[in-house]
Amino acid sequence: MAKPRKPPNRLRETAAANQSLPRDLRAPGVRWNAWTRQHRQSFHASLRRLWNRPWSTGLTVLVMGIALAMPLLLFVLLDNARSLSGGLREAREFTVFLKTSQDPEAARMFSTELGERSDVIAVNLRTPAQGLAEFRQLSGFSDALEVLDDNPLPSVLVVTPRLDDVTLEPALLGKLRADSRVDMVQYDAEWRKRLSAILRFGERAMLALIVLLGLATLLVVGNTVRTDIQSRAEEIAVVQLMGASDGFVRRPFLYAGLWYGVLGGVLAVLAVGIVELVVRAPLLDLLASYQNRFHLHGFGWRDAMMVITASAMLGWLGAWIVSTRHLLAGRPKR
Amino acid sequence: MILFDNVSKRYAGGHEALMGLSFEVTAGEMVFVTGHSGAGKTTLLKLLGLIERPTRGEIVVNGASLARVRQRAVPQVRRGIGMVFQNHRLLMDRSVFDNVALPLSIAGAGHEETARRVRASLDKVGLLDKEKSAPATLSTGEQQRVGIARALVGKPPLIIADEPTGNLDPQLSVEIMNLFTEFQRVGTTVLIASHDLHLIRHLSKRVLVLDHGRLIDDFRPQAN
Repeated sequence: MAKPRKPPNRLRETAAANQSLPRDLRAPGVRWNAWTRQHRQSFHASLRRLWNRPWSTGLTVLVMGIALAMPLLLFVLLDNARSLSGGLREAREFTVFLKTSQDPEAARMFSTELGERSDVIAVNLRTPAQGLAEFRQLSGFSDALEVLDDNPLPSVLVVTPRLDDVTLEPALLGKLRADSRVDMVQYDAEWRKRLSAILRFGERAMLALIVLLGLATLLVVGNTVRTDIQSRAEEIAVVQLMGASDGFVRRPFLYAGLWYGVLGGVLAVLAVGIVELVVRAPLLDLLASYQNRFHLHGFGWRDAMMVITASAMLGWLGAWIVSTRHLLAGRPKR
Repeated sequence: MILFDNVSKRYAGGHEALMGLSFEVTAGEMVFVTGHSGAGKTTLLKLLGLIERPTRGEIVVNGASLARVRQRAVPQVRRGIGMVFQNHRLLMDRSVFDNVALPLSIAGAGHEETARRVRASLDKVGLLDKEKSAPATLSTGEQQRVGIARALVGKPPLIIADEPTGNLDPQLSVEIMNLFTEFQRVGTTVLIASHDLHLIRHLSKRVLVLDHGRLIDDFRPQAN
């Protein structure tokens, strides 16, 4: 039995004390310890709870993971497309096809002539013989090419101009087009503009998708936590009557939301990894046909950690919204 | 310890549960609140526990004027009140020990202190050997005693009980009531809502009688 306590003051005498309403009078250190202890408890208890209901947990995590994986895949796709377009942006060369009447010797002279210009950085000559060899290797038409008597390919000059970034059509271009020795000049400005537009559109679409699917994960976690709260409504009511603060009531659910988020994020990263693995081989083949000018960008550790962190935050937020709503609904109305 | 000053409570539907209720309970007193069902007993307890707010009037509990208690401070007021319920409201998915430890874990008590106080509390209600049991395996009387141990464990200055013997046979009821009188003997204020008039008369403690939300009698029966 507790030792007999001194009867507290008569209430009427405590009117002044009423001004300062009930507060936790324990020392800050004691309160800190209590707080960390409760967090430790919630940490373990919430994990145990999820573990004890593998089906419901698994389902929630799966839905979250898939919902998050979709914008991530789009992100990886865009990331690669962007680096591809970046590669093109650097490839600012003109490809100058000379008339077939120009023999290799004339082509070499033309090449030197161009190389001496101040607005040209480099000129790379590909003779018809080189072109044929390359074509044979890449196109798979080597047998068909055997049939040809002559080499039908022209000499090609790959000219790297010195460009200021603004001008899309440098003076050099016009000059080359006008030159009688030149059959045609290929310059990919139009195509590049179109590609950047497509990429910008893709980025917007990805943003929209991220917002929508992020909202979806929020709802998924919220709904799961809501049913969890409903099944523990009696427990919540009892601990509230015992003097549990809102924080105390909310804490296990916030942890649950956090776990859903972390697990969903891990799953999403795994899903992206698996998809990458599946498409890697055919994609590498495809890239090889582009003379390996482009590299496949995977999903790095930092990206993965960021995704998991963001997903954890989403889970926490979903749980917070739902549990706060429950707490507010339980308030007495005056 | 408890002061009701002209307290009225009208529920949203228009039902007047309490009308102009005034009384005072001094620290260390044991008081019964009785009356027919619907007389306002439960509403009175709800107002004490800040589960409901009064429509009019002032209530002071444990030195705190409840009208001035903001929502944030409600838990702190409740920690000063041990509550016992008719249907005990134990958490069935936890052991007896964990149920009794609940108020302490809410307050953030340490491991050793919790164990010590839970055992002391279970000892008082005579259930020390049941700490590892699941509440569902206990008898009704034992479950109610666990509920009382839980109300007791935080050493609140005030214990309020809503029909604590409502589901018990007379023999068990007497045992439970004897527990409450023991708490009063060591200085705890006890307020019990009950309509077990026979038992109340037997204990010769102060009795408040409610009828249709009004206080119609306040007396102390003489034991015969």
